[in-house]
Amino acid sequence: MMREKSEFEHLIKLSVGQYIPTGSVMHRLDPRIKVIMGALLVLSAIIIGSLISALILLAAVIFGLSLTRVQLKLALASLRHMAIFLVVLALIQIFTIPQLHSGASMLFQRGILKITDRSLISGILLIFRFVVIVLGLSLFSFSTSTTELIHSIEHLLRPLQKIGFPAHELALTAHISIRFIPILAGEAEQLMKAQASRGADFAYRKWNFIRKIRKMLPLLVPLFVVSLKHAHNLIEAMESRCYMGGKGRTSLIRLHAGLGDYLTLAVGCAVIASALLVSFADIDRTALEWVWKNITILF
Amino acid sequence: MKSKVRKIVISGVMGAISIFLGASHLGFIPWFAGAALTIMHVPVIIGAVLEGPIVGIVIGLIFGVFSLLQGAIAPTGPADVWFVNPLVSILPRLAIGPCAWLVYRAVRGFKEVPGVAAAGIAGSLTNTVLVLGVLGLYKYLPWQLIGTIAVVNGGPEAALSAIITTAVITAWKGIQTRRQGSRV
Repeated sequence: MMREKSEFEHLIKLSVGQYIPTGSVMHRLDPRIKVIMGALLVLSAIIIGSLISALILLAAVIFGLSLTRVQLKLALASLRHMAIFLVVLALIQIFTIPQLHSGASMLFQRGILKITDRSLISGILLIFRFVVIVLGLSLFSFSTSTTELIHSIEHLLRPLQKIGFPAHELALTAHISIRFIPILAGEAEQLMKAQASRGADFAYRKWNFIRKIRKMLPLLVPLFVVSLKHAHNLIEAMESRCYMGGKGRTSLIRLHAGLGDYLTLAVGCAVIASALLVSFADIDRTALEWVWKNITILF
Repeated sequence: MKSKVRKIVISGVMGAISIFLGASHLGFIPWFAGAALTIMHVPVIIGAVLEGPIVGIVIGLIFGVFSLLQGAIAPTGPADVWFVNPLVSILPRLAIGPCAWLVYRAVRGFKEVPGVAAAGIAGSLTNTVLVLGVLGLYKYLPWQLIGTIAVVNGGPEAALSAIITTAVITAWKGIQTRRQGSRV
């Protein structure tokens, strides 16, 4: 028999960063390469100031998504939540920042409404930038499991260990965090049920701030204390097994990058570099002026 | 002696609480005009007070990375979209722990409990001021609106974080206060 979902169950809501194993080419790619490319993609998406380079990055990300063999619908679902807001944000940017100073030319003016080519570009770019980052992160989370992610970050940071950077310790911390989330969800469920059985009502209908907080405290304080107790058990267990940290430890999973992995890295870097080159060459305005001229001729 | 294992485990567990509070929406308390008060930064402050500034930075990093991922993959509201930028989501959160710890160290000399409460307020205000400051520098929001948000949202958040931090740390360290036990 299916158990009914109750208001106390929190594990169901935890859907951030879904891993969908399909065994595709993207899944088999060395996770270290995926981490490097993901970081480069997010950075370049923030730096770029050109529409054409945004389109290059977008095409690359969509190509990568099609390689994962995960339905594109799933990646687009997260975009749908913010679509309206992004459009509003872009419109605000287009109309409120005319940016007349840096030699921008006026495209449209009626009353106080002004659109210059610069403001139009920055508005549209804002949408593209977010779409690229969101799709890029979904591509990453669809194809990389958390264990792979943590192992690859530890491997990548290993050279820094020589100068005293705690790569292994950071990776272990992240791993403990991820492993503890389901335990905490279970504890929270138990605590909520325990308090509800004493008459607490967590479903709030009124906007009574003080009352809401007074109801949250008997839940939050025990949650913190219980997890600190769990932490102490774990500390004792690790210390009694003489855990000494990263030096000289070997790991169960060893990562090997083959020729295909390096080729993918090279192609990915080439795409990102070309996007950055286009961005610095500033050919957007001439392209936009050309399109705008043709539209005005048509009407 | 405070061992390395202890620091690693406390950072991991407090980071997990921060993620859990965000993902389950227990860490958001509805406030005026659709805005929500958040207590996701409280684990950072508690970690910093218990184990020092480095643990605070690490928990802040976990909190920041999670809010970036949440903004990108599962946005819950329009404001989440801004947090896709790591300068908004990660950089300000690294400062919460060290600030809370410094204030705790400074006030602890007089008395323990006010020190913890002051750390709660300081950590929360660091979060509010730095996040809104970066949003202002990026021109996502006009400065006047930022001032209003800082007062309307930041004030209650600081009070709330002081209450929870004090309650948790006094309960954990077994400090005697006038009121014992909890009331529902």
